[in-house]
Amino acid sequence: MNGIDGSDRHIKTEEAPPPSLLAIVLDTNPHAWAHLSSTLPISAALANILVFINAHLASGNGNEVAVIASHSHKTTFLYPTPARPQPKSRHGTANGLVEMNGSGNDPETHMAESPNKYRPFAVVENAILRNFAKLLNETSEGHVQATPTTLIGGALSLALTHINKQTILHAPTAASAESTSLAALADSENAHVDRVPLTSRILIVSVSGDLANQYIPVMNSIFAAQRKRIPIDILKLAGDTVLLQQASDATGGVYMKPERPEGLLQYLMMAFLPDVTARASLVVPSAGGVDFRAACFCHRNVVDIGFVCSVCLSIFCNPDLPDDLCLTCGSYLSLRSAVTNPPALIPRKKKKKKKLGTDSATPGANTPVGSGTPMHP
Amino acid sequence: MSASSSSQALEYLEGLPLSTHKKLYEQPSTVLAVFRCMLPHLAKSIVMAMLYMPSSFPTADLDAWFKTSARKEKEHATFTLDRLHIVTPQRQDDGSLSYTMNPGFQRSLRQALEGSGTHRSFGVPATREESGSNRMTTEQLDEYSRSQWEGILYYLVSGAAGLSKDAIDRAEVGPGTKKLLHAGDLVRTVHGSPRITKDGFSFVLQETNAQVWSLLIVYLKMVNDLGMSETEVLAFLFMLGSLELGQDYSTSTLSATQLQMLDDLSAMGLVYRSSKNAQTFYPTRLATSLTSDSGSAMSASSNDIAQANQGNAGPSASANKGFIIIETNYRLYAYTNSLIQIAILSLFTKLQHRFPNLVSGKLTKESVHKAVQSGITSAQIISYLTTYAHPQMQKTVSYIPPTVTDQIRLWEYEGERVETTAGYLMREFGSDAEYRDVLNYASALGVLVWQNDANRCFFVSQVEQISAYLRKKKENRDVARTR
Repeated sequence: MNGIDGSDRHIKTEEAPPPSLLAIVLDTNPHAWAHLSSTLPISAALANILVFINAHLASGNGNEVAVIASHSHKTTFLYPTPARPQPKSRHGTANGLVEMNGSGNDPETHMAESPNKYRPFAVVENAILRNFAKLLNETSEGHVQATPTTLIGGALSLALTHINKQTILHAPTAASAESTSLAALADSENAHVDRVPLTSRILIVSVSGDLANQYIPVMNSIFAAQRKRIPIDILKLAGDTVLLQQASDATGGVYMKPERPEGLLQYLMMAFLPDVTARASLVVPSAGGVDFRAACFCHRNVVDIGFVCSVCLSIFCNPDLPDDLCLTCGSYLSLRSAVTNPPALIPRKKKKKKKLGTDSATPGANTPVGSGTPMHP
Repeated sequence: MSASSSSQALEYLEGLPLSTHKKLYEQPSTVLAVFRCMLPHLAKSIVMAMLYMPSSFPTADLDAWFKTSARKEKEHATFTLDRLHIVTPQRQDDGSLSYTMNPGFQRSLRQALEGSGTHRSFGVPATREESGSNRMTTEQLDEYSRSQWEGILYYLVSGAAGLSKDAIDRAEVGPGTKKLLHAGDLVRTVHGSPRITKDGFSFVLQETNAQVWSLLIVYLKMVNDLGMSETEVLAFLFMLGSLELGQDYSTSTLSATQLQMLDDLSAMGLVYRSSKNAQTFYPTRLATSLTSDSGSAMSASSNDIAQANQGNAGPSASANKGFIIIETNYRLYAYTNSLIQIAILSLFTKLQHRFPNLVSGKLTKESVHKAVQSGITSAQIISYLTTYAHPQMQKTVSYIPPTVTDQIRLWEYEGERVETTAGYLMREFGSDAEYRDVLNYASALGVLVWQNDANRCFFVSQVEQISAYLRKKKENRDVARTR
């Protein structure tokens, strides 16, 4: 008679895991891929990533994907294909209003049906390849010569906005209560999807090295992701940067720097495919020791010891500010005491730190313990 | 119990022998469908991790990959993979145990993900000449599948709900489908009119997707008698699940068995053909949602087909899945004008009033007793009420008032005191440690039903995995002894 006491009546066993949205930020920096071309050409990498996307889509029926290219001069959606901006919204918010066309149903995208390919896979694949080719065609020599780095900050914010939008679409009652009419309120489909929230994560496939010049936008994105509980996974194929390590550490994501980039697919399948639901039961790889040093706001250098504005917490690498005013908030900062009395540090230790700061701007996980840098266990 | 649709199919698949599995895994579409909707979530992670792995996966490494707190989930995942013969533990030459993936499954899943090969298993779309000028729209297809499926449901409930003879005749159900319903023991003919059985009741109370699968499983059990190959039928069903709604597909590449199946399936409303000899066929929503879980948002609309609208409800039918309001005083209001829904409700409710869009009634001791006597369980009633609870009801945590669920259970328990579970009794363990070990393993697998520590015996619903575990233990002991 145990069943009668009704102790199990509140247990609603939702067996199916919630649908998961994977936003992939693909670093397409031409300089970095040129370096990698001997071991892992970008075409091979893209093919591997497409298989990975298919595997993700197959892993759950409601799973979605978004792919964002972070190029040298702009960031753009590879999938879903952004619709052409409406003429009305040209002024003001040219890049703010981006309508997504995920289905790819417009006649020009209608591709030849292949009986050997599952159709949802084919749709995603075609869109990504087409948009990627378009992006490469639009890249001129001037764009490539202008900068050796990539716009990871912009791509990250695009990914976050997309995730936010999809989350709202999946739970309409939570966010846009005033816009739902009475009819929509009674609509059970809304109530149905309300019960299955979307879990999202971001995967950054990074090849570029120093990203300190984008410290502020990337850091802001990291904090936004942390707040929204969106893990940022990092797959670092080349280069090394403090910033992305911090991103994965702060948001609880996976950080991996494969020793052999040509085995990209196996890394993706093993470490990056399990979604948030599955990760609860798996041991996920992480960065190990994380370098928490910040970049200064004035020269974008990674600094061991900096000067912090007492009002807005901006970081500067040297105290000689013009007119003694903070560059960010304009507050008057009296640095006289700080300059006259250098921080009381044991000289031997300070020497060690200086040496470390000069020989590499961005040391990786092997920052020695006890150097004064906060270490992650 | 209204099992979820995929678990039903999973149960059937698990029962198939290794040779059938091997043949099934030749088709990429089948493999993809099995992967997408049959496997537990963590099993998918395991399969994907192993898919491109050059060597086998040592068990020790797999254990290390999982957190120690997730042992139960891990056992569940490997158990399912083992039963489907996808990933099986094998002893290597050096004596260590490691998991290997079925090579056919591995090859097919790779092909499905890469879109490579020339297997043509995802359906050949019709050419322009074949499809002709009048193409079907999605709405037309939905309408068609709805009317066909409703016909089946209507035929089932018409006898029990006490509808008149001519109303039963109105249900247009083909002779093949009727035979199927009888073979599955969902209805029996009594005095010339169909009489619904206990299985039939649980069938009617399920979600549409689960209903389709139950009927298809009956079909699969029959195909051997009809001279068709079971694997071919299954492969075709999985292929249907991977097709695109609103697209027409060519019949020119189909085998004789598959053409025969098209006829049967179009009678059920899973596929649409304009005529018996048409060169194309359209899968309907019933077919394309075969391999989607009910839990996903994408398939939410497929449940709407259960909304039987007798002509006049029109477009609103697609928008109201939940329509039942039940109060703590056992009064029930159902916003529906569908005869099928009313007939189903009348199986366990004392209906009192009927209005153009509403019926009202009351759950009484008599009405629930009547339902229990004709074979409906309280769990079925509660799950039906939960599934179709009105959106307003869905705002509270337990959709139905707890007093009502408890009372329905109590009414049922008045008549039933014994519950049976088929299974195996494990006893005569050598030591308490051994007993504890096997017991923990059984409970991790989720097959443990009952245990008695004093007598060192317990009862499990399935024994294959346990016996394999015991054999493995014995082997390990023997190995240790010989060293």
